[in-house]
Amino acid sequence: MSASGFLRFPAPLTRRCMVPWGLRLREMPALLSPGTAVTPAQMAGRKDRPALLSLDESELEEQFVKGHGPGGQATNKTSNCVVLKHIPSGLVVKCHQTRSVDQNRKLARKILQEKVDVFYNGENSLVYKDKREAEKKKQERKKRAKETLEKKKRLKELWESSKSVQGERSADSD
Amino acid sequence: MECWGRMLRAFLSGPGRRGGAWGSAYSSWRPHRPVPGLLNATELVSHWTAIFEKEGIPEAQESSEYIVAHVLGAKTFQSLRPVLWTQPLTPWQLQCIQELSSCRLQRMPVQYILGEWDFRGLSLKMAPPVFIPRPETEELVEWVLEEVAQRPRAVGAQGGPLILEVGCGSGAISLSLLSQLPQSQVIAVDKGEASICLTRENAQRLRLQDRIWIVPFDVTLEGSWAHLLSWGPMDLVVSNPPYVFHQDMEQLAPEILRRPRPREGSCLVQDEEWKQPCGDTHDLEAGSQWDPLSTRGTAGYEDLAALDGGEKGMDIITHILTLAPRLLKDSGSIFLEVDPRHPELVGGWLQSRPDLSLDLVAVRKDFCGRPRFLHIRRSGPQHGCPAHAWPGPQPARVPG
Repeated sequence: MSASGFLRFPAPLTRRCMVPWGLRLREMPALLSPGTAVTPAQMAGRKDRPALLSLDESELEEQFVKGHGPGGQATNKTSNCVVLKHIPSGLVVKCHQTRSVDQNRKLARKILQEKVDVFYNGENSLVYKDKREAEKKKQERKKRAKETLEKKKRLKELWESSKSVQGERSADSD
Repeated sequence: MECWGRMLRAFLSGPGRRGGAWGSAYSSWRPHRPVPGLLNATELVSHWTAIFEKEGIPEAQESSEYIVAHVLGAKTFQSLRPVLWTQPLTPWQLQCIQELSSCRLQRMPVQYILGEWDFRGLSLKMAPPVFIPRPETEELVEWVLEEVAQRPRAVGAQGGPLILEVGCGSGAISLSLLSQLPQSQVIAVDKGEASICLTRENAQRLRLQDRIWIVPFDVTLEGSWAHLLSWGPMDLVVSNPPYVFHQDMEQLAPEILRRPRPREGSCLVQDEEWKQPCGDTHDLEAGSQWDPLSTRGTAGYEDLAALDGGEKGMDIITHILTLAPRLLKDSGSIFLEVDPRHPELVGGWLQSRPDLSLDLVAVRKDFCGRPRFLHIRRSGPQHGCPAHAWPGPQPARVPG
């Protein structure tokens, strides 16, 4: 079934979804609800990046659990799995991470958006760039930590050697 | 080890050990593979899925996955840490799964079995007979949020918007609006005492109790609405009112209709328990612990009054539409979830009631492509009754 019934469903997930993979689910509604303004905090640190390729709803095909019956109050279904397909690339995402259809739809779009980015941009995709940057920062932290450790070691050696020098002097002063 | 093997076999033999109708069906049941292989989550899901399927329980796999995930501390099976899928479960975990699954065998809705469910990412406590929020209704909230974002409103002393929810149930709609609109305030009403209690409890769990007033109120009773005026004119009225056509009620699934027979063991029914008052609002101990296995607290499943909309499913809807113009500001909006046959019926009804000054401005489809939501707008002051002239001084607003 097509996604055309959802006229105003999530606005393009452009600059609001620039968070790494480990995002916390409870932040999702604030980031993705088209009705919520994006706060300065959410935009911080992302102005230097080009926007993630946004998904066009007309290129998406969304599927929910089959046999939903009459729906609404007349049904009580708990299958909230969302299957989202990006027609041009053929990529498909299946999401059953949460107990909320609404959240699964948003999550599926987010995951699909990143997959589409990798699909078209490969090494140049934001996902890969983020990973490389994270790895780089990690290496830098390690290096700094190592340097700090060596400094401390040297200081300790200096202090201990100066102690023993003082000890000799006081012994001499008798 | 010997004892452990026996214990496992007992667990695997389904609810038979509790006696009743199930005993004979499962007394000779053997596990598919020889025990003592300790069972992991994935295997247990397969095990219970097979049992549910055999007993004609709908959503066999989903039910099984939710129960197992819940016992392992996750909301969905897919979100469980993968390492937990293949770790053996403890006897206590197996027992919990066994007991919850036996409730499912009695067609208890999964949401009541778990005692909680999510709505737009909010975790809400669920307890019978309070109506379980449906997934479609998440989109009703989405629509309201979009409209609020698009319409700049005069921000008064208390911010806004001021929203009335009719038929709040577990508080799903009210609380998700409050959590997304930090300046908003909500008056949530329901005729069911259990709903009032549960909404209050969920509001406190989510720390939203300061911006919501939860009031017992039956929209079908003439004249009882006057005290709602004391909060002043409202920006929005939102509702998922009972809208099932009465003739369709019979065809509802056992999860909705069925009242389990009182019997020994799990999933007991004590009809009278839920009619007792839920206790002081601050005393969470008294009302809060819903245990699907306990002998108190469950009189069947969902309250049918939360579903039955009368002959054409319109009874409650027409009462809300009659009441709304008296409470709404000029150009205030009403958002309703309805049956797919209602857009036409409501449109026709509104035309027969020009005195209400209400226009059906938009119909929106749900994720299954069915017309499901209505946006109705008040088109200005009523004749001889300007909206800004409210009777009497306004009392101090006290949350409660």
